[in-house]
Amino acid sequence: MDPVTLAIHATPAFVASAVEFVEATTIVLAVGVTRGWRAPLLGTAAATAALAVIIATLGVAIVTVVPELLLKGIVGSLLLLFGLRWLRKAVLRFAGIVAIHDEELIYLRELAELRAQGLHRKEFDWIGFLVAFKAVLLEGTEVAFIVIAFGAAGGTAFTAATVGAIAAGVFVIALGAALRQPLTMVPENWLKFGVGAMLCSFGVFWFAEALGMQWPGDALSIPLIVVTFLAASWLAVRILKTLLPEGAQIEARNV
Amino acid sequence: MFKGIWSTLVGLLIEDGQLAIGALIALAITWAVANAGGDSARQVVGWALLVMVLLLVVANLYRAGLVARTRVSSARR
Repeated sequence: MDPVTLAIHATPAFVASAVEFVEATTIVLAVGVTRGWRAPLLGTAAATAALAVIIATLGVAIVTVVPELLLKGIVGSLLLLFGLRWLRKAVLRFAGIVAIHDEELIYLRELAELRAQGLHRKEFDWIGFLVAFKAVLLEGTEVAFIVIAFGAAGGTAFTAATVGAIAAGVFVIALGAALRQPLTMVPENWLKFGVGAMLCSFGVFWFAEALGMQWPGDALSIPLIVVTFLAASWLAVRILKTLLPEGAQIEARNV
Repeated sequence: MFKGIWSTLVGLLIEDGQLAIGALIALAITWAVANAGGDSARQVVGWALLVMVLLLVVANLYRAGLVARTRVSSARR
């Protein structure tokens, strides 16, 4: 696979993984700034190792053992279900019905909680270790799911998804290390909006392929499906904004 | 990790339950049409699934908007 084709195929996994890495990096930064860097970095390393084991055992076993069409059908269904959830939340956030995910607020909350717990300088900081471990493992599990899902087509798709996720990790961690602050300039809701549309599109594409459909132009249909999802979702944002009274920025859960 | 998986499942099936159930029904209809309709039907099931899911998303969000509007109205009273 030439670098340009690899970059195109790796983009969905890159964008989707970047969202998860931003969340994990925010928490690790909060721990590092408040309690020192040794424990959170060890926690991050331990979580990364645990994730590598999960991907190596579960991911590779699933991709190699389950028949390709069945795997596409299952993964397509899961991508559609998870993608719809992301898309719905992103639309509700754009419309002002659910509060925008605020990385800076999360960062400040983490700082306050960690400072309240205190630290004895001579002991190993288990709290810092566990907070970083949990955050990286949780968000990393989602990255692992993204890699397995986008790589379900096998062969080069798995390579492209892995490259995309690793590149996202390197990019976000480098950005976080350079700034030493929460990554508030990352337009998270726009990313989630785009990723939701992409997950749904891949879900529809693979589920239909698993049933024996041949899409016109094969993978070239995917951008068209993504644009259709984005257009319909944007229409939904407009509808929601006309439904709500002007200036109504509410936080209505379970709507 | 299990807590994370559990909260995702709860979120998917309970918080966004109607959307998830709607999507599962759309997938089941697509599968049934592809199996019952022969090769010609199999070549259009993807588009049918796309249309069903788009209608589902817009309808679900429209309903969410109506619920939110009712809550805003009752809160202002």
